[in-house]
Amino acid sequence: MQVLNKRFYASILLIILSFSHQGCKKETNYIYEVDDVLVTKDQSEKTVSKTMVEFISIAYADIFGSTISQNDLGILSLLYLAFGDKVIIEDVLVKNMLNSSEANLPSDAEMRSNIGLYIKNTYIKLYNREPNELESFTLSQKISDNEAMTSAMVYYAMMTSNEYRFY
Amino acid sequence: MSTVFINLHNMSQYIPRRSFLKKTAIAAAGTVALPYILPSGRLFAASGNRIANHVVFCMFAGGVRNIESVLQQRGNLMRGCFNGSGGIDPAIAPGIQALPSPIGATLQSQGTLYKQFRYAQGPTGHFNGHSTALTGNYTLQDLNIKEPPRNPTVFEYYRKHSDPIQSAMNAWWISNALGPYPSLNFSTYPGYGSIYGANFMQPATLISQLGANALSNPKEFTSAQMQSVNDMRNFFNESFSRSAAQNGNTILNENSDKELIQSFLQNTFDTALAGGLNDPWNVGEQFMNDDMFNVSAAERIIQQFKPELLVVNMQGVDICHSNYTQYCNNLRKADYAVSHLWQTIQNTPGMANDTILFVAPEHGRNLQPNTITDNYGQLALDHTSDNTSREIFCMVVGPPDKVQQNQVINDLTGESIDIVPTIAHILGFKDAIPGGMLPGRVLTEALA
Repeated sequence: MQVLNKRFYASILLIILSFSHQGCKKETNYIYEVDDVLVTKDQSEKTVSKTMVEFISIAYADIFGSTISQNDLGILSLLYLAFGDKVIIEDVLVKNMLNSSEANLPSDAEMRSNIGLYIKNTYIKLYNREPNELESFTLSQKISDNEAMTSAMVYYAMMTSNEYRFY
Repeated sequence: MSTVFINLHNMSQYIPRRSFLKKTAIAAAGTVALPYILPSGRLFAASGNRIANHVVFCMFAGGVRNIESVLQQRGNLMRGCFNGSGGIDPAIAPGIQALPSPIGATLQSQGTLYKQFRYAQGPTGHFNGHSTALTGNYTLQDLNIKEPPRNPTVFEYYRKHSDPIQSAMNAWWISNALGPYPSLNFSTYPGYGSIYGANFMQPATLISQLGANALSNPKEFTSAQMQSVNDMRNFFNESFSRSAAQNGNTILNENSDKELIQSFLQNTFDTALAGGLNDPWNVGEQFMNDDMFNVSAAERIIQQFKPELLVVNMQGVDICHSNYTQYCNNLRKADYAVSHLWQTIQNTPGMANDTILFVAPEHGRNLQPNTITDNYGQLALDHTSDNTSREIFCMVVGPPDKVQQNQVINDLTGESIDIVPTIAHILGFKDAIPGGMLPGRVLTEALA
């Protein structure tokens, strides 16, 4: 009986000690961080056609680096509606934006100083994805093999391509 | 664009007779044994018998009553269209501008005039009327003005059922207004739609100062640079499975035609910026209104592209809701415009003597006026589906070998829904349209 009592008191003591040990443990502060991640969309996932307003405002932002004003968006939307072949009106619109003195594209010198980086950045900006190996290689060849190739030409070709019309 | 049809009969003159007979026999046997589906969806090619190679349809729209047009109760306000020497009613004469006289013989004398045509069913709304005239079907169900028509338009019938299939460059819809009208160049009908749609332009918005500011100063590329751009674009497109055509919201032109159209737009902007479109007909700038400007833009397209099918509208007369005298004034301007349009067609090689012109309002206006009085004491008119607002005229104008000349049909003959099948008959694709799609009839009595 005494042995039992000793065991009983020992058990109580162990429990108390274990609780007291837990209570003295220093609290850990966990800080969860998110690394910067480039959110891109694979070509095959681009199934939604940009609306008129989306096309105009995105093209404006891509060329001028700023948000289009509501007034300008209203005017360009009316002009867009006033012609039936949207491929043609988008082409004319992009060419006019590219010719603006306020167009904010990488210069030709910047393009040629690091063609690989230029291609990567331009794909991310206009197509919202990185180029694959074939695209990088082919476009790099087209730029480096052609001294007359300009940054405006690359922008014009990409912004009037089919992929640019979808997201 | 004048089309040369090469049928078997014509081809035979280029092939030695024995060879021709042998090939014809083989072809005939093959046709019997192995009919194949043409790109148009038909089993066999259309006959292709055409009465003319070009049709222009001028919708004299906005709501025109027969009382002021063919019945000439306020004098002959439409001297370019109709015979008649009646002077303008003195009650409205002070409000009518002194336009130059239309050139040439009246259109009535160069064709057939239906004086009791009917917009027989559906609400007498502008978009309903336009939709009916362009689809050949009355809009008896709800019409969503934010969507293309539910029935195929005449442009889609023309492009899909002509043999060979026609390019968009050959079909144009020139509207005086935006709103729902841009959507009339193609329908949502299964099997038709944007891939068979017409080119569309609304010149009053596009060829404006705002339009010039935004669209008339493009980045120029040399031909070598454009070659490189096209090469790059092709590379981008090859690695992407979708195309603009899959949007379903645009018609598409051939690549070579795109360049021609862009060049045309640039040239039009340049002309407009130089003041060349302020008074393109030398009638005096003070006379030019939106209708005249719209028709002059259609004339530029006719001169540049010689389309096989072009529809242009005018709606200036709709001011009649609030100003009757101005309605009469705009009726005269619209008359001058359509008369000038016909002159331009006759002065355009390739279209002269090979074009049939349709002129018809989309609907009329009420017999009873509303309560708005203009400066000359005239009460305004709405259009709310009374019997008078369903009474319209129709003119079919063309060369003597194609259209009955100087013919007036005074009795109740013809409806709005007859125009599309008649155009289809003239351009040779009527028989290829599946049965039951067009309830109207061909206006055979107008044709020679």
